[in-house]
Amino acid sequence: MTSEHIYKFFADYIYKHSGIYYKESDFYRLDSRLNTMMKSLSCATVEDLHKAYTTNVTKDMHSLLINIATNNETYFMRDNKPFLTLVNKVIPEILANNKSLTKLSIWCAGCSTGQEPYSILMSIAHKCTPDVLTKTEITATDISTDALSKAKKATYDGLDVQRGLPAPLLVKYFIKESDEAWRINDTIRSRVTFGEFNLLTDNFPASKYNIIFCRNVLIYQDKDNRKSILEKFYKALVPGGVFFMGSGESVIGLGLDFKQEIIDGTLVYKKPA
Amino acid sequence: MKILIVDDSKAINLMVSDMLHEAGHESLWAENGQKAVDIIAKEKVDLILLDWNMPVMNGPEFLEKVKSENLTSAPIVMMTTENKPDYIMKALEMGASEYIMKPFTSDILINKIDLVLGGF
Repeated sequence: MTSEHIYKFFADYIYKHSGIYYKESDFYRLDSRLNTMMKSLSCATVEDLHKAYTTNVTKDMHSLLINIATNNETYFMRDNKPFLTLVNKVIPEILANNKSLTKLSIWCAGCSTGQEPYSILMSIAHKCTPDVLTKTEITATDISTDALSKAKKATYDGLDVQRGLPAPLLVKYFIKESDEAWRINDTIRSRVTFGEFNLLTDNFPASKYNIIFCRNVLIYQDKDNRKSILEKFYKALVPGGVFFMGSGESVIGLGLDFKQEIIDGTLVYKKPA
Repeated sequence: MKILIVDDSKAINLMVSDMLHEAGHESLWAENGQKAVDIIAKEKVDLILLDWNMPVMNGPEFLEKVKSENLTSAPIVMMTTENKPDYIMKALEMGASEYIMKPFTSDILINKIDLVLGGF
């Protein structure tokens, strides 16, 4: 039985470094995570683990805790509609309004194991003219180094590649390396750069991106952190830029300058031009 | 939706039927391509889940017959252990709308059905 003060220590650590918030009533959700950490660090008891983290937290121990605290659940073409809206409406509109645009900059914040940036690129390759793909550069970031490591490998198993991904896109944009390994082809892979980024503590670039995706990430943050991160996303967009959130998320009530618009059934947030 | 499962394995039929029923769909079962031809001659189905390797009439033979003779407008989803890209390409070229590699989970099956009905 884990003591309340140990749960609180780890919950506070996770909140301070990632903004992910575990309420007291959710402390039990830390149990399996603490068990995994005990195995990784060869600690016999949760008290030993607590002692290790209160004595000296190495970089690896910090990463282990953050990796374990984050939820990396994702799949290709998650919710489907935003990708169709992106390639059918949002990108054509941005290109029509910026005839001299040479680079379409997209940021996937909270990219997890890479399915979202690759889904964006496959959608563009499948539905837009070839010049749009060559103009597109995606920066994909996450706080979890484990998730980023899988994303960079761009290799997925048979279940991963079926979850959400239409078969015509699978045969067009993946190379089958073995019975359980499908790898994204280099044309798609080369257009995305992955990096570690903490939405809570790292510096956001100013006025850089035409499009930002941050879906089902801020649901784990409290209201104050959510507002502060969304304000920074607003500044990171170029005027006329478009922000995509998860289907169950909203900026309503946070007093932000985003202009809300429903395009083909997808709710998007625009920074006025 | 009324979905026709074409697979010679009774166990697969039971497993897939359960997944479909849980998602609110109806299901019918044919144990080979010929039986499936007989069923679609008598009643309208909304979607067909089709195995590759079956006795009497296999999946590709069924696809070829259905497409060349225009026997149904229902989308056909291959559901098979054959997982080589060449097989997937062949099935799509022959007119299958989607492809599910066994083993799969309930969420994959339901997602693939959704894709066929309104995805990319």
